[in-house]
Amino acid sequence: MAEAETKSSASVTPAAAGPAAPKPDTPREVANKSDKNHLLRAIRMSLDIESATIRANTQHFNRGRYKTVGELPDYDELKDEARRIKDKSIANLPELIQIVKSSIRARGGHVFVANTAADACRYVLDVCRWRAAKMVVKGKSITSEEIRLNHVLEAEGIQVVESDLAEFILQLADEQPSHILAPALHYSRERITALFKRKFETSLPLDTGEELTFFARQILREKFLQADVGITGANLIAADTGTLMLVESEGNIRLASFAPPVHIAIAGIEKIIPTRQEMAPFMELLAPSASGQRLSVYTSFISPPINDPPFAMPSKPMKPREFHLVLIDNGRLRMRDDPVLHEALNCIRCGACLNSCANFQTVGGHAFGGETYSGGIGGSWEAGTGKLENARFSELCTGCTRCVNQCPVRIDIPWLNANLGSRLNHAEPPSLTKSVLGSLTNADQVDRASPISKMFFGNYHHFAKWGSRFSSIANSVDAGIPAGLRSDPEEKGNTSFARVMMEKWVGVDRRRTLPAFPKYTFVQQAQQIEPPSSKGRETKVVIFAEVFTNYGMTSRGLATLKLLRELGVDVVVSECVPEGRAALSQGMIATAKQHARMATRELDSYVNDGRDIVIVEPSSLSMFRRDFAHLLDSKERYERFRSRAFEPVEYVIRILSKAGRKAEEVFDISKSKVGQRLFYHAHCQQKTIGAADATVRLLTDIGFDVATSNVECCGMAGSFGYKKDFYDLSLAVGSDLFGQVVQNDRDGGARQLIASGTSCTEQLHAGFERKIMHPMELLVTLIEPQKESDKVTQDAEDAEVEADVEALKRSKRDASSS
Amino acid sequence: MIDLAATFEENAMDAAAMVWRCKRTPVALRDVVALATTKARGIVLTEAEFLPVSLVDGLRGLAGVIPKPHDDELATADVGITEAFAGVASTGSVCIAMGRPLVTATSLLMPLNILLLAKERIVERPRDLFDEEVLNGEGLKRNIVFITGPSATADMGPLVVGVHGPHRVLILLLE
Repeated sequence: MAEAETKSSASVTPAAAGPAAPKPDTPREVANKSDKNHLLRAIRMSLDIESATIRANTQHFNRGRYKTVGELPDYDELKDEARRIKDKSIANLPELIQIVKSSIRARGGHVFVANTAADACRYVLDVCRWRAAKMVVKGKSITSEEIRLNHVLEAEGIQVVESDLAEFILQLADEQPSHILAPALHYSRERITALFKRKFETSLPLDTGEELTFFARQILREKFLQADVGITGANLIAADTGTLMLVESEGNIRLASFAPPVHIAIAGIEKIIPTRQEMAPFMELLAPSASGQRLSVYTSFISPPINDPPFAMPSKPMKPREFHLVLIDNGRLRMRDDPVLHEALNCIRCGACLNSCANFQTVGGHAFGGETYSGGIGGSWEAGTGKLENARFSELCTGCTRCVNQCPVRIDIPWLNANLGSRLNHAEPPSLTKSVLGSLTNADQVDRASPISKMFFGNYHHFAKWGSRFSSIANSVDAGIPAGLRSDPEEKGNTSFARVMMEKWVGVDRRRTLPAFPKYTFVQQAQQIEPPSSKGRETKVVIFAEVFTNYGMTSRGLATLKLLRELGVDVVVSECVPEGRAALSQGMIATAKQHARMATRELDSYVNDGRDIVIVEPSSLSMFRRDFAHLLDSKERYERFRSRAFEPVEYVIRILSKAGRKAEEVFDISKSKVGQRLFYHAHCQQKTIGAADATVRLLTDIGFDVATSNVECCGMAGSFGYKKDFYDLSLAVGSDLFGQVVQNDRDGGARQLIASGTSCTEQLHAGFERKIMHPMELLVTLIEPQKESDKVTQDAEDAEVEADVEALKRSKRDASSS
Repeated sequence: MIDLAATFEENAMDAAAMVWRCKRTPVALRDVVALATTKARGIVLTEAEFLPVSLVDGLRGLAGVIPKPHDDELATADVGITEAFAGVASTGSVCIAMGRPLVTATSLLMPLNILLLAKERIVERPRDLFDEEVLNGEGLKRNIVFITGPSATADMGPLVVGVHGPHRVLILLLE
C-alpha cells in the first residue's frame, strides 16, 4: 500500500507529471459539488492520490465493525432502542431544547441557540472577546466545520489550534474532512511525513507513526496548557441533567474540556435526547459501529461546568471555570419538517455507512462528500444545512443498500439518496427531447425533467424490449470497428457509430461491453416448454419475469423454471413488467411507484391463486422485500408481496425442508460439469435482505468447496458501471472482487465462478473471460432423473451459454485492441 | 455465571491496558506500585473515595510522590494514580468518577496511569452503570469517564498508542 501510495503521490507532483500534465486538483478546489464537473474531477483526484489509503483504512474499520457488533448479544434490540429514543427526541425537540437550557443554566452554565451558522460563530467570537482570548484549542467537531468557525475566529486575530491529530493534519494542509469520523483518513503516513516536513522546520526524521505523534503531541500539549478557551463538540446531550457524552481516543477532548478555563461545546440541536439514562444504548453502539472498538478509549459523561479547577501555569493565572453550550439549528428544524431529510436527524455520526460503502471505500469523502459531510448520509446533511445542489455527490450512492443493516439507528440511507436524486432531477431544466423521450417511455410526468441518461436507464425495459425484438441488429451495436479501420487508432473502447452515439447521448461508456439481447425472451422460451401436469403439485409458484432475466440472461430463468418443476412445484411465469428498480436507481421515484404498481397488479391474480413469487434477479427481489415499503400505496399491499417473494435458492431450500429431503440426496455432485471448486459472489442487495446465505449453505451441503467474496458490492451496481462518468470508479471498486477471485484460484486452480446478480456477472466478465453461472444453472445439472426432452433443452442451453462467452471474448478483444 | 474479573482482565489487555492482580493490603499495594514506578520522577495520587483511606494513604510514602502538586508539577509528573469508580467486564474499561481533586489530572496528563480497581466493583457491561440499582446509582449522578486502554490514534498511519493522554495504563485489580 505504501508503495502504491508513493507512486500515486509522485504522479501528481509537477516534476513527475511532466510538462504537459495539468495541475492536479486540491481537495478544496473540488469540495463544493454543486457543479457536476467538480464531482467528476474529485473522483479523478481521489482515484489518483487518495484511494489506496482510504481503501485500507475504511476496510479496516469495516472489518472491526463486523467483528465487534457480532459480539453484542443484543445488537438488534440496542438498535431498536436507540432508534426509539431518537424518534422520540426529534418529535419533542423544541421542548427538549427548553429543558436543556434550564438544566445547564441551573448548574451555572450558559446556553445559546443559534438559528444560523453566522449566529453561532458570532456568539463564540463574543465569548472569546469577553474573555480576551488569544488562543482557542479545539477538539474534533464536524459541526464547527459546518459553521466555518475557524475562519471567523482567525479573522479576528484569535489563534485556533486543532488538537485532534486528524484535524491538526487538515489544518496544516488546508483541506476539508474526508470522513465524518476520521477526517484525515485519506492521509498515509508517508504523506503526513511530507506535510510535516513542509510545514515545520525540523531535523527529526518523522518516519514512523510514533515519531509523528510524539512531534504533534509536544506542540499541542503546550497549547492545551496555555489556551484560554477549549472548544469541543458533543456526541449527545441529555436534556434532564445537561450531561454531554464525549467520545474520543486521543484524550484531546478531555483536555480541551478540562485544561482551559472556558469550555464551549458546539452541537446540533438533534444531539439532544431526553435523559442521561437513555445515553446507555448509544454508548454501547457507537464505538463498535464506528471504529470497531468495544468502547472508545475515552467515553466521558460530564455535566458542565465541572468542579475541577482549570489549569493554571506560572504564565497563566487561575481563572474561574465557565461553560457555554452552543446549540445549532442552521437548517435542522427545517429538516425536521421535511418528510425525507427528517430521517437524517437520527444520525449519530458513527460513519458505519461510509465504511461499508464500496464506492466510499474507493474514493472517500473528498469525492463522495461535500464541504463538511460525506458518504451516504452526507448528502442529506449537505442539503439540509446548505443547498440541495451541494448534495450532488450523493449520486455516488448506487443504492446497493450495504449500509442499511450497518446503521445503528436504522436509517434507510439509499432511500434518502434516491429522494435527493429525485429532487435534483426535478430541478433540471426541461427540454423538448426529454419531453418526447419521457412520453415515449411513459415516464411519470414529474420525472420528465430528468437528464436523458437517467431517463434511458430508468426506463431500460422499453429499450430492452425493442433491443430484444431486433436482437441481431441491437447486438451488432457492440461489434465495434476493427482497429485498422479507425480514423484514430488511439481511441479507447468500442468505436462503432452506435456506441459513440450511445456514449454521447445517454452516457454509456464505450469501454464497457453491453450484455447481448436474447433472440427469444425468457417468457417466450418458457412458453415453448410444455408444463408437466399440475396434478399432485401442491406448492405453487409464479416466476416473476423481471426485465433483467427476460431480456438478458434468460438461461437463469429457464434453469429456475426447470429445477422447480423437477422438485415437484407447479410453476408458471408472469408477463414481463418493470417493478421499478431501474427507475428508482435513477431517482425517478414517481416512475418507480408507477412501475411497482404495474408489477404488483400483474402478480395479484397469481397471489390470489395461492402462488409464491420467485424472483431470479436479486435487485428486483429487493424491491419486493424492501423498497415497496416506500413505493406501494399501503402497508398491507407491501406486506402481501414482501411475505411471498423469494430468491430461487432460498425457495429450493424451503421446498427441501418442507419435504424433509436432504440436499445431498437430491443433488448429485458427481454430475457437476464444472468441478467441485466454486467461487460464489452474492449480490449486494441480496445480502442486505438476508437471501445470500442460502446459496452458500445449499452448495456446501451438496458437497462443493465454496469460496465466497467478501466485498460489499462489485461496483457495477446496475447501471452505475455502464456510465461514462463512473466507469473508472466502477472498475476500481471491482478490482477488490477480481483480486479475491485470483486469490482463491491460487491453490488448486481456477474455481467455477457463480454469481446471483446480472450486473455482478457483467462486472465479473469485465475481469475474467470465463463462464459465469447462476446457482440455479449449476443446480439444475445435478438433479436426477432428467427426461430426454429436458436433456435436449439442456444441451441447447449449454451451447447458448458457450456461444455467449465466445461472443463476449470477441467483443472484449475488439475493445482492448483499440 | 461469567467470571467478571477474568473477562475484564482479558478484555482490558485486548485494549492494550496492563492488568496486575494485587492483594488488598497496604503493604502489597505499596510493593506493587513501587515495582511499577521504579524510575518515576513525579507521582501524583488521588484521594480514596471508594477504597479504604488507609490503603491509598499507604502509597504516599513512596519515593517520587508529590504531596500537594502545583499545576506546573502536574504537567511534568510521569505517573498518575487514580482510584477507579468501577470496571466493565465486556469492554475491559475502567470507569472513573470526577469530584475529588486530581481525578482528571492523574488519569489524563501523565504518561503512565495506574488505576486502582476493587474487584467487586466490576459490572458486566457499560450500560449497567446507568442503572439506578447498581453501585447506588452513582454512575448516573457523577461526572464519569470510561477509560479503555491507553490513549491512541490511527490518524498518523498505523495505530499509535500514546497520544494526548497516558501512553500506558496499568490496572491494579484489588482482590
